[in-house]
Amino acid sequence: MEENAYLTSIFASVFYLVASVRLLRLNRRTGERPELLLGIYFGFSGAYYLVFNLPSLFGFDSWPPATEWMIEWIYVLGVFPYLFFIRSVFRPKAAWAGALVGICSVLLLVGTALGTLNGGDVYSLDNLWFHVQWTGYTAPCAWLGLEAMLSRRGARKRTRLGLCEPIVANRYLLLALFGGFQFLACLADLLLAADADGGQAVSMISDALLGGSEIASVAVLWLAFFPPRFYSDWITRRAVILPTPMDG
Amino acid sequence: MATDLFDIAAEKLEGSTEMDRLAARGTLRIAIKEAGLDPHKLTIPQLRAVFEKLMPKELDARGVSDAAAKCEATMDEIARSADAIDIASSASPDDVFKRLGGS
Repeated sequence: MEENAYLTSIFASVFYLVASVRLLRLNRRTGERPELLLGIYFGFSGAYYLVFNLPSLFGFDSWPPATEWMIEWIYVLGVFPYLFFIRSVFRPKAAWAGALVGICSVLLLVGTALGTLNGGDVYSLDNLWFHVQWTGYTAPCAWLGLEAMLSRRGARKRTRLGLCEPIVANRYLLLALFGGFQFLACLADLLLAADADGGQAVSMISDALLGGSEIASVAVLWLAFFPPRFYSDWITRRAVILPTPMDG
Repeated sequence: MATDLFDIAAEKLEGSTEMDRLAARGTLRIAIKEAGLDPHKLTIPQLRAVFEKLMPKELDARGVSDAAAKCEATMDEIARSADAIDIASSASPDDVFKRLGGS
């Protein structure tokens, strides 16, 4: 079971790296910031999962805690552009969104920096800095999920008026699901931390949750970033567009 | 600047119907919300869709006679008045999400 979780993480990491290249190439063409920010996030996420799971892939002992904390920095550095992406796309002028970006950034920096300095297991419920860092990277996942779901409601209404393409409205849903699945993966981290403290019974659940949420994340991102023709056609056919003027 | 477009639209709606300022702004706001739009980030094509597809029903419900024709005339006036203001918005979430899929 545990090996399956590692394999899915490695599979996800390769997909994230491919998505990163796709978004960064898009940025080179458009010069727009959102794709740059998201591309950097997926690049760091892919690199993190790959490096973190190298011991399982090549069958050597797990990284020592000091090395694990250094590897954590790879992921943490990717969360900053992720936060800026969410803010710049959904709440560019909201002061509270800026404050939330600041709070999450501080939690990530403080949790990871002090965790690195103090040592100890990264994933351990006894480690205060794990909790601080965990909050810093879990909140953006929930935030993306909520914002994309809220935007999807408006996009569906705009689709009925012919103001938003059905596939774009659907893409909000897919990114909302991605945020939700990543949130579940973060919950799996909590279970992993509980398991590290000796609660072996949760191991199977955390592995299943982690593996399942990563596979689901890859699936929705594939549909969002590399939509196959049949999927786009299906979404477009299902869309309802109002005639003019609106009938009762 | 986008708020100007809402203000212009509400003003023209008030002028072409028997509604007072408060009723005109409220009715317009309801239709914009129904359309899933932000009154502060309106564009002319969005407003045109609102006036073509949603506003006739809203005006009808408020006892305004010949609602569809009034909506058409009001929208033409809005478009003429709004020519001079900057209402371009190329960085909406829809634009971003459209690009992300490569479409």
